[in-house]
Amino acid sequence: MPFTYNTPEDEAAMLAAIGVGSIEELLEQVPADFRLDRPLRLPAALGEMELDAHTRRLATRNASPTSHACFLGGGAYDHFVPAVVDAIASRGEFYTSYTPYQAEVAQGNLQAMFEYQSLVTRLTGLDVSNSSLYDGATAAAEAVLMALAASKGRTEVVLPDSLHPEYRQTIATYLSNLPGQVVTLTTPHGVIEAEALRASVNEQTACVVIPQPNFFGCIEEADELTRIAHEAGALVIAAYDPISLGVLKRPGDWSGEGAGADIAVAEGQSLGSPLQYGGPYLGMLACRESLVRRIPGRIVGQTTDRRGNRCFVLTLQTREQHIRRDKATSNVCSNQGLLALRATVYLALLGPTGLRETAHLCLQKSHYLAEQLCQSGRFEKVFAAPTFKEFVLRDRQADVAGFINDGLEHGFLAGIPLGRWYPELADCVLISVTEKRTREELDRLAAIVSSTRHGDAIAAHSALQTA
Amino acid sequence: MRNIHDTQLLFDLSKPGRRALRLPTCDVPVQPIETLLPAGAIAEQAPALPELAEPQVVRHFTNLSTQNMSVDSHFYPLGSCTMKHNPKRNERAAGLAGLGDLHPYQPESTIQGMLALLYDLQEFLSEISGLPACSLQPAAGAHGELTALWVAAAYFRDRGEQRTKVLVPDSAHGTNPASAIMAGFETVTVKTLKSGAVDMEDFRAKLDDHIAVFMITNPNTVGIFEPAMRQIADEVHARGGLIYLDGANMNAILGVTRPGDFGADMQHYNPHKTFSGPHGGGGPGAGPICVTEKLASYLPAPIVVKRNDDNQAPVYSLDYERPKSIGRVRSFFGNTGVLVRAYCYIRTHGPDGLRRVSEQAVLNANYLLSRVKHFLPVPQGDRCMHEFVASAKQLKTERGVSAMDIAKRLLDFGVHAPTVYFPQTVPEALMCEPTETESKETLDAFAEMLFRITEEDPELLHTAPHTTAISRPDEVAAARQPTLCHCG
Repeated sequence: MPFTYNTPEDEAAMLAAIGVGSIEELLEQVPADFRLDRPLRLPAALGEMELDAHTRRLATRNASPTSHACFLGGGAYDHFVPAVVDAIASRGEFYTSYTPYQAEVAQGNLQAMFEYQSLVTRLTGLDVSNSSLYDGATAAAEAVLMALAASKGRTEVVLPDSLHPEYRQTIATYLSNLPGQVVTLTTPHGVIEAEALRASVNEQTACVVIPQPNFFGCIEEADELTRIAHEAGALVIAAYDPISLGVLKRPGDWSGEGAGADIAVAEGQSLGSPLQYGGPYLGMLACRESLVRRIPGRIVGQTTDRRGNRCFVLTLQTREQHIRRDKATSNVCSNQGLLALRATVYLALLGPTGLRETAHLCLQKSHYLAEQLCQSGRFEKVFAAPTFKEFVLRDRQADVAGFINDGLEHGFLAGIPLGRWYPELADCVLISVTEKRTREELDRLAAIVSSTRHGDAIAAHSALQTA
Repeated sequence: MRNIHDTQLLFDLSKPGRRALRLPTCDVPVQPIETLLPAGAIAEQAPALPELAEPQVVRHFTNLSTQNMSVDSHFYPLGSCTMKHNPKRNERAAGLAGLGDLHPYQPESTIQGMLALLYDLQEFLSEISGLPACSLQPAAGAHGELTALWVAAAYFRDRGEQRTKVLVPDSAHGTNPASAIMAGFETVTVKTLKSGAVDMEDFRAKLDDHIAVFMITNPNTVGIFEPAMRQIADEVHARGGLIYLDGANMNAILGVTRPGDFGADMQHYNPHKTFSGPHGGGGPGAGPICVTEKLASYLPAPIVVKRNDDNQAPVYSLDYERPKSIGRVRSFFGNTGVLVRAYCYIRTHGPDGLRRVSEQAVLNANYLLSRVKHFLPVPQGDRCMHEFVASAKQLKTERGVSAMDIAKRLLDFGVHAPTVYFPQTVPEALMCEPTETESKETLDAFAEMLFRITEEDPELLHTAPHTTAISRPDEVAAARQPTLCHCG
């Protein structure tokens, strides 16, 4: 019990003040037949040194983007995290505080969240942002619920296969007991086809989710798709990669400045948050002014205090569960404050030039690697559509597992097999390149492919398992 | 030392041409961007982000941080939120290379250490709850509630039962009814008595064969163990319904009793409360859920499973083959960073240590109650579990001093305020949860502050706090004419 204070003398004095003889007597509030009459079956306590050694031992049993050059993406990316981000986010005043219910002693968090919201509106070209949701998938699901509520009577949600499969699965779960049906749009060429979308939208369509870049890394024809959805009276939900906005048009500007997406959601992990095996991440959600009262989650607003000083508070709370209970826009209570803070610091460090350069490095390096891998003869590009930092390659040897194992042996997390989500792409791999990857790493990965033949890849990467 | 004058916005500090991060020059042959991307997709200019130098960024956020109260710096008895000490050893572990930097789509063979940790955590949470199956996927407490209600809906659908109602006590967290609606149920509010206990007469009047789930918080939001728990569980089960335990208050009962043993079929945990994950200024949390055997097949996929082959080290893998599963409730595995901290906390305490956490949390809360009740009535009575709710109703009537006045004045004394105006069933509520990681001295000082405040000039209290950089923001104006960004 390293974190408590009370000495036996303290306990005695406290029990006397309460008027009971023992702590057990206090616990008698729990009926006897509910009481656990044995110790919990858990491993014995570890001291700090033992815990430290134990967790380090567990860590050495894992390969990671620190030990292996990472080419994995699929919605979570190995972008560089500047030291300032970690330094700020590890200040106890930030990470051990909570939801700013008392604005007077939470101006630090509140101002940082106001700055976060401001940055998100500038990134997306939309009017308002909340102060974050759980992750990209739940942000997409919440956006779909917003759209259904806003387009009264319309019940169909158009989701393309080029949207992240786990986002589609999450949206399906959120709709599982509510009115609202998913209309699936197949994307055999890796992007949404304008004609296919036109045939899928009608007076029942509440919204269309357009990923940009999409799960395959491909650039969708967002302008045209937005026009088609809007002509049908449907709302457009953009699912974007924030790093891509260093080169790509903002969702709010698709099909013309200010005429674009109505809601924009993103996975914000790329903006300065560690990969940490899938979470916690950062769900970003911004929308048009007209939808502001339907936004889920916390929102920070600027106001003045009783002395006239500018300050910040949680606002528009009548949308929220703690006030509205069963009439709330969502059940969301917490935000991802610490991740939103990280994104704010990250964007402050990058500025417009840093974001643009980061995006350019991803763009150039990913194209270089794709070319090198295709030149080896083993791989070919699957989709003709242009890409940003990720791409899908078909393994002519149909041995994606072998490629990944070869990569591991040579110190690479080489790519993500697509067969789990797309059986027709079982011989394909999704490869992602961030600004962290060096030409030397790219050339080395390409060299492995050229030097290994089908069948060579059996040797185990077992060093990890025996560690 | 705090620099209260440095509160300009990032955008006010910006000056064209300033840079913090410099990126390496491109080491691969550069192709014109127009040859790589379609013209229509390219942005005409970069987003209007502020331009700053690194020292500015550091100073700006460091100064912002000093305007927060936090557990590291202040007593933070925010009821229902379990603002206990956040062990630094957990931060270190969660940030280790090999734990904090794993990509969610790495091959299972490369993450055996992480999967072993997560498997063990599933087992620990099941043991602590007395509910055998666990999903670590939900991202927060409210998300865990929603996930469990989806599980319940799938269970009833599978059985061909049309059940539409979720019963929720009026003292429950607002997330309970909000989650029920999102899972497609209608909510029925059940009254509670002044003591905080469920009004059994009202409960029985509302119980019928359409009940799907009774969502109960136990210990409840006034901090008492529900006296009629047995009857509630028996009667709900007799009607074919399920009991959901809102696990927000697990800090009171670790190793003392288990939800599965007192009738719960499902529960969520708030590892950021009970198991000391830091609250992050609002999040992240996590919301793992545990359920009974009959509900296990409906849990979200994947779940970590362990295979023991003869004379081999165990092999861990992710089980996606769960045909009855409700599906995914989010992307990737879960809020693993928070879960690693929870794992460390449980390993640090072991079985005896966890029980002692609850014993000390209950002792501290009862001691504080015994001191406070003499000047701020506690309607629930003389006993509580880990928290209690005092009422400033009498003070309001007699001297015009509200719970909000008291909360604001406490900030002047250098402690965070309790949760105010919740639960809504207690007028002028002040919900105090000291947690086990506070000393008798701190509790004594807090009780004395509260007493002193109740004696102070009401005018002084109405305008409190007086020592903070800002005081009493105009929330009405903020909501009426919202300014939600510094837009470019």
